[in-house]
Amino acid sequence: MRLGIVRGHVVLHTAAPELLGTRLVIVEPVTAANLAAGNGQGGGKALVVADHLDPGLGQMVAFVEGREAANPYFPGKAPVDAYCALLVDATDFRPPDREGVGS
Amino acid sequence: MYLARIDGTLVATRKHATLEGCRFLVAQRLEADGRPSGEPVVVLDRLGARRGTTVLVSTDGDAVRRLQGNTVPARLSVVGIVDEAVGQAGGR
Repeated sequence: MRLGIVRGHVVLHTAAPELLGTRLVIVEPVTAANLAAGNGQGGGKALVVADHLDPGLGQMVAFVEGREAANPYFPGKAPVDAYCALLVDATDFRPPDREGVGS
Repeated sequence: MYLARIDGTLVATRKHATLEGCRFLVAQRLEADGRPSGEPVVVLDRLGARRGTTVLVSTDGDAVRRLQGNTVPARLSVVGIVDEAVGQAGGR
């Protein structure tokens, strides 16, 4: 799973039937530098993540990518390759190589 | 599988039901020279890895499924705590 900040959501006009009932949020992945700084910034390439947890704008989430992203639809199948698994309340990320950086 | 260093903890109250009770850590994948690379990743941990330790991370999502059920949206898990990675600066 990677971490990301919710920047918006997508409303589809026409959708694959398997996507009905799934919210789609736009997520900006968080880089190590931004996570260590705790500045609320992302910095990664934005992607669309399937979601059933309903995070708010600016909320940090953890999302799984690849085949496991469709696991919640089991035994059905869904054309989903990113899925929001956690709403992150807090992280305590202090890599030793970044101690003191930016402070 | 790859080596990663545990650099943080994570608290998440709202989560997919299959992940209830799981422990999550924030890790950074290590290059051959022991330096961290890429974006931080969230890993499941049931071995009790601590901050600063080098761990072996498996990307076998089926392993997580066997433990947490078929509908679990997770792939990365800690499958070992590294004692020593010979020739690799990140081992300890």
